[in-house]
Amino acid sequence: MTDVPFIEIEDLYFSRGDHDIFRGINMTISRGQVTAIMGPSGTGKTTLLKLIGGQLTPDRGRVLIDGQDVHRLSRKALFALRKRMGMLFQSGALFSDLDVFENVAFPLRVHTDLPDQMIRDLVLLKLQAVGLRGARHLSPAELSGGMARRVALARAVALDPELILYDEPFVGQDPISMGVLVQLIKRLNQALSLTSVIVSHDIKETLSIADYLYLIADGQVVASGTPRTLDTNQDPRVSQFIHGEPDGPVPFHYPAETLYRDILGQTSAGKVG
Amino acid sequence: MQSNVKHAISHVAQLGRKGCDALESLGRAGVFLAQSAVGVPSREGWSLWLRQVHFVGVLSLAIVLVSGLFIGMVLALQGYTILVDFGAEQALGQMVALSLLRELAPVVAALLFAGRAGSALTAEIGLMKATEQLTSMEMIGVDPLRRVVAPRLWAGFISLPILTVGFSVVGIWGGYLVGVEWLGVFEGSYWSNMQASVSFVNDIGNGIIKSLVFAVVVTWIAVFQGYDLVPTSEGISRATTRTVVYSSLAVLGLDFVLTAVMFGGL
Amino acid sequence: MKRSKTMEFGVGLFMLAGILGLVFLGLRVSGMTLSAPSDTFRLEANFANIGSLKPRARVTMAGVTVGRVEAIELDTEWYDARVVLSLNSELAGQLSQDTTAAILTAGLLGEQYIGLSVGGAPEVLAEGDVIRDTQSALVLEELIQQFVSNMVTN
Repeated sequence: MTDVPFIEIEDLYFSRGDHDIFRGINMTISRGQVTAIMGPSGTGKTTLLKLIGGQLTPDRGRVLIDGQDVHRLSRKALFALRKRMGMLFQSGALFSDLDVFENVAFPLRVHTDLPDQMIRDLVLLKLQAVGLRGARHLSPAELSGGMARRVALARAVALDPELILYDEPFVGQDPISMGVLVQLIKRLNQALSLTSVIVSHDIKETLSIADYLYLIADGQVVASGTPRTLDTNQDPRVSQFIHGEPDGPVPFHYPAETLYRDILGQTSAGKVG
Repeated sequence: MQSNVKHAISHVAQLGRKGCDALESLGRAGVFLAQSAVGVPSREGWSLWLRQVHFVGVLSLAIVLVSGLFIGMVLALQGYTILVDFGAEQALGQMVALSLLRELAPVVAALLFAGRAGSALTAEIGLMKATEQLTSMEMIGVDPLRRVVAPRLWAGFISLPILTVGFSVVGIWGGYLVGVEWLGVFEGSYWSNMQASVSFVNDIGNGIIKSLVFAVVVTWIAVFQGYDLVPTSEGISRATTRTVVYSSLAVLGLDFVLTAVMFGGL
Repeated sequence: MKRSKTMEFGVGLFMLAGILGLVFLGLRVSGMTLSAPSDTFRLEANFANIGSLKPRARVTMAGVTVGRVEAIELDTEWYDARVVLSLNSELAGQLSQDTTAAILTAGLLGEQYIGLSVGGAPEVLAEGDVIRDTQSALVLEELIQQFVSNMVTN
């Protein structure tokens, strides 16, 4: 059961301008598991989620979700597929003109013809699951960052999706709300038998809930495996990231001339202006 | 010598690239308008639209009416001092009404609308984009063009003509206050001269057609700038400025064209 | 819910104000009348020269507006201007046969309008009749020309 691939990414290439972001990514994401995609900042992890969600189109390669090629679908079929996905954005991305209750009710209202009473019950259940049933009348501006993310999580699961994509769920959270979110993601995944994809660079939290990990750097998958196998991986790029060493194959310094020449040498750049 | 030529060529190339960019962005804006304005209103479309009419129309009413009042009063004052030299001050009503209906009401209301509602639309949509609300809407499977953009477009299309009518009415009343109540033009000739010279179809109708055209252009620019901006705080402030600048220029330029077609015998 | 009700009310008021504004412009500013066209009484008058008389110009009697110019066309039989006047219906059967129509100017440069004055004949004008006794518009250039030629001959 757990080994049936839900998402397959085959030989994916993507570039922005002259900058190559992905150069041949291959991934298989199994049904019912929490899969984490990790890597240093700026390696395009969020871009990968957008490619999976069909918001960006790759230069080459394809993404299959449950056997359907995301980028070959008609607009209508793509929107139908998206009903089976939830996505949690980095900022929460709650609709600022609706209150908490209406935010969670939004997917239900647009995609179902349920009577108001039933929508109300469903929304309250989802809010109960994230512990914010009491905050239903607040507007998004009145929520803290962690609360906003929890409401967004309730909204993402409102339609009982099969897949949830988490974009940096732990960034900028205090330790308490971080712990709450970790618990929630784990619990939701088990309770709803979801497939989850987490994009993150918070190693400790991610390792604690992921079933399987992909590490990307330089536009390619450099390592993959269960948390335990990665922890003992000898590849310097992997161990630098997993153990958080400041310098290594990923350099501390942005590419530049040597400090000596920059300070003492009056290079051509110094004469401009 | 050769470097000069190279320099010149690179300048020409840059110019060409800018032209291509401008054309491309115009094309994007056109596709954008077509996709969002044609959308079939959803179940909720009506209440969303209503909310936007409130936002862009009702809330702009005060500034438009106050400006209209003052412009009507100034017109009467200036017109009177000129007309009285020819002993033609009884034509004051005609002058006030025609300048308002044909030119000032559509143009000034559109400029105020661009400043008040257009910039707010750009900033609002831009902020929704910057906070990923548009993306998340798309991921929920709702087209933001229909849900966010279309009601705002249609609200703008409806609101500006109404504001323009309000501007004219208040302006004519302001002209009456100054001309009749203050400067002592005979009330009967103020109204009858106006009635004799204003044609419903040619003057009022054309004024409303003008304001409809301006409404489409201003709202389109505002909403597109918001949708197409770079989602950073700097990008939002730039796009807001662009909205006001572009829509003011577009209104004034189009006004000349429309006036030439409607009243210039072209 | 209450907020959205007041908002709806506001928008409704806004739209209503727009429509009322349009009605005001139509009635008060462009002088349209809501009365049905059957309520008017039509006369025709031929003028040798109408100057700058426009359709929808006022028709007055003793300074009171009693109707409008409905149409102006060239009479190809006599090559003069045929002006159709539509007057208030209460004047039907009241105007004597020798009523005169003159094209007058409001002020020196003002708009031109038609002034009617009643004569003393017992017969009255009926719907569609023609006013015989008309006085053309004063054309400023002709006046000046006359004045100058008078000066010269004196």
